[in-house]
Amino acid sequence: MFRETAFNDIQRDSALDDTSVGFMMDEETFRAFYQRSARGLWAYLTRLTGDRQLAEDLLQETFYRFLRAAATYDNETHRRNSLYRIATNLARDVRRRSMARPAAVPAGDDIERVPSGQDAGTAERTADFTRAMSRLQPRERAMLWLAYAEGASHREIADVLGLRPTSLKPMLFRARRKLADLLGRAPRGGKP
Amino acid sequence: MKPVDCELESEVLAAVLQNRWPHQVDAGLRTHVAVCAICADVAAIAGVIDDAREELRLQAKVPDSGRVWWLAQMRARREAAQAAGRPITVAQAIAFACAVGLLGACFGATSAWFHSSLRHAASSVAALRFQSILPVAFVAGHAALLLAMATILLVIPAAVCLAILRE
Repeated sequence: MFRETAFNDIQRDSALDDTSVGFMMDEETFRAFYQRSARGLWAYLTRLTGDRQLAEDLLQETFYRFLRAAATYDNETHRRNSLYRIATNLARDVRRRSMARPAAVPAGDDIERVPSGQDAGTAERTADFTRAMSRLQPRERAMLWLAYAEGASHREIADVLGLRPTSLKPMLFRARRKLADLLGRAPRGGKP
Repeated sequence: MKPVDCELESEVLAAVLQNRWPHQVDAGLRTHVAVCAICADVAAIAGVIDDAREELRLQAKVPDSGRVWWLAQMRARREAAQAAGRPITVAQAIAFACAVGLLGACFGATSAWFHSSLRHAASSVAALRFQSILPVAFVAGHAALLLAMATILLVIPAAVCLAILRE
C-alpha cells in the first residue's frame, strides 16, 4: 500500500542497489514508462473495481507482474496493451474472489465520493456517470473505458480483454447503447 | 442485419474529444448525428467518459516510480529465494519421513513388548474366527516389516503435505 513517504527519504539496502533482479526492463526505462502510464492505469482500475484503494494495490501488482514477465515489446503500444491486459486479469481475479467471499467485497461506490474541489454540477455529473457505469457488466465498463478514455483501437481492446476483434464491434455497440440509455441525457451542454 | 458501426463514428469521437462538438463542427456532421443512432451514442457518452477520465486522473495518487521499482526488486528477490529453497524443503520432509519409518521398523523388530502385543492381538482376531480373511500367521511373522511399511505409507504423504502447506 502506498504511503506518503518520499521514496528518496528511504534508506535503501545497499545490496539492492548493487545488483538488480533480472527484469527485462532497466530502471530508467521503467520509470519513464511508469510516469506515462500509471495515472491512466489507476483511473482504469478505479473504474473497473469501483474502489480507489483496491485500484492502488492492483496498480502496484500490475507493474510488478509486468516487470516479472519475461517479454519483449515491439513498441509502446504493445507494452501498454500488455500492462492493461495484466491489470484487467487482476481485476477479474479480485472480482471472482470477492464473489466467492462476499464479506470481502469492496464497497464499489467508493469513487462516488466527491472531492472537495468539485462544483455541484460536476459532482452530480460524476455521480450520475458512476452510477450508470456500475450498472454495466465489468467487461462492458472495461471496453468503454478503453475505447473512449484511453482511445484504444478495436484491435487493442480485443487484445487487452482477450476477445476476438470481430466480436468486439457488436459488443462495444451494445455497451455504448446501454450506457447512453442509462445516462439518458445529453451530457456536455448542447449535445444531442 | 442491424449496423453496429458507422464510418463517421471516429470523426464524431474526435470532435468530442477535441472539444469541437457541437458548435465547431460542420453542419453536415451535426445533421448526420441527429439521424444516426450510433454516432448519437458516441457523441453522448464519449464526452462524459473523457470528463470522468480527466477528473480521475487529477485525483490519482499513484506511488512514486522509484518506490514501485524498489518494492518490485525486493519482492522478486524474496520470491527467487523461496523458489530456490522449495526443493530443499521437500527433500528434508522425505528424509524425515524415511528416518521415522526406519526407527519404527527397528522398534518393531527389537521390541519384545511389541511382539507380545501383536501376538495377543492376533490371537484375539483368531478367536473371532476371521482366520480365512486375515492371515494371522503371516502378520505375526512379518510384523516389523508391515509396521515399517505402514509407517512410511502414512508418514511420508503427511510430511510432504505439511511441507507444501508451509510453503
